[in-house]
Amino acid sequence: MDAVVKKIIMEVKKGDQQAFAELVELYKDKVYQISYRMLGNVHEAQDVAQEAFLRAYTNIDSYDMNRKFSTWLFRIATNLSIDRIRKKKPDFHLDDPVGGTEDLTYYSQIAADEELPEDKVVQYEMQEWIQNEIAALPPKYRSAIILKYLEDLSLKEIAEILNMPVATVKTRIHRGREALRKRLRNS
Amino acid sequence: MACEKTKMEDLHKYLDEEMTLLEKKQFEQHLVTCGECEKHLRELRKTIALVQSTSHVEAPADFTANVMGKLPAQKKSKKYKTWMRKHPFILAAAVFMLLFVTSVSSLWSGGGSHISVQGQGNFHIDETRNVVVVPAGETIEGDLIIRNGDVEIEGEVLGNVTVINGEPYLASAGYIAGETNEINQILSWIWYETKSFFGEVVNVFNGKSEEARTNSAPFS
Ligand SMILES: [Zn+2]
Repeated sequence: MDAVVKKIIMEVKKGDQQAFAELVELYKDKVYQISYRMLGNVHEAQDVAQEAFLRAYTNIDSYDMNRKFSTWLFRIATNLSIDRIRKKKPDFHLDDPVGGTEDLTYYSQIAADEELPEDKVVQYEMQEWIQNEIAALPPKYRSAIILKYLEDLSLKEIAEILNMPVATVKTRIHRGREALRKRLRNS
Repeated sequence: MACEKTKMEDLHKYLDEEMTLLEKKQFEQHLVTCGECEKHLRELRKTIALVQSTSHVEAPADFTANVMGKLPAQKKSKKYKTWMRKHPFILAAAVFMLLFVTSVSSLWSGGGSHISVQGQGNFHIDETRNVVVVPAGETIEGDLIIRNGDVEIEGEVLGNVTVINGEPYLASAGYIAGETNEINQILSWIWYETKSFFGEVVNVFNGKSEEARTNSAPFS
């Protein structure tokens, strides 16, 4: 897997733009997952995930081939998501309706696209509720929880992505878990 | 905060299996008697299970196409290199043209292609290789001018070395005190012709590629 990724990156560095499409295919879901879980809105998530790939492309020469590509890419995606959150109005709440238009969550979008049986609807509602609780976490705990439990990354990788010591990552995961426990325990 | 006896960090340490064997044993003994800690731990485990139960989201179907449509235009030289790698036939044709131009240019330069040297000292002319050789240990006091041939300097030249329609080679033990000039009219003429020839190839290619792009890529 890593050898394949390195080969594609070499092609991109040599100037083969089309080779970059293969990288996007490989990582689009994971990058989109990070931005969606961080932002809780499909349009913003798509925007940020695309921007992450564009930044990766224009800065590919500064990527160190000896390090894991996904770590570098996820770091770009996480930083862009945090920037986006910071730019939002400070009194903006993630469960506020967005601009009074249609619902923009991932699950409501799927539900609108197809007729769903009752049990699927319940399942989606459940997932949407958990997503809302993750999105309600302070961003610094949110990023640690997403990388740990949704991207299944090691503490060391999370520390590299967030550019902080492993001990700090642990503390953030603990605090994030505590905050979620208080919200989810009554389910 | 769990119970009064336990720090919250300890619960998380236990949950992540980061306790020493002794700490673990002591904490498990405490858990048996402390309902508060036991409940707290159960809730944490349930929280983690819930978070992990959310299915993975997928990027929209047109995601890759959208990203590719937004990439900045490739640099000309890189584009040209990639293109050359993908179109070896055109490259072969270009090399043929280059050879053609080279042979025309040697016709153009006409007669007077015999090697000649101006200078004073012990050098010799290797007519078969078309090279003027300044052997090791020999010193040329003044300037050296070579026409229509190369020069190999293994000894010393105290003046300037000028090579017209040829190239100077300085051996590792050789030494030139003055300047080395290479005047190569034919080479520069070929160079000029080649550059403009390749420039046209690249322009033709660019024109076509823009057209192809606007036809096949509705997104941008
Ligand atoms: Zn206790």
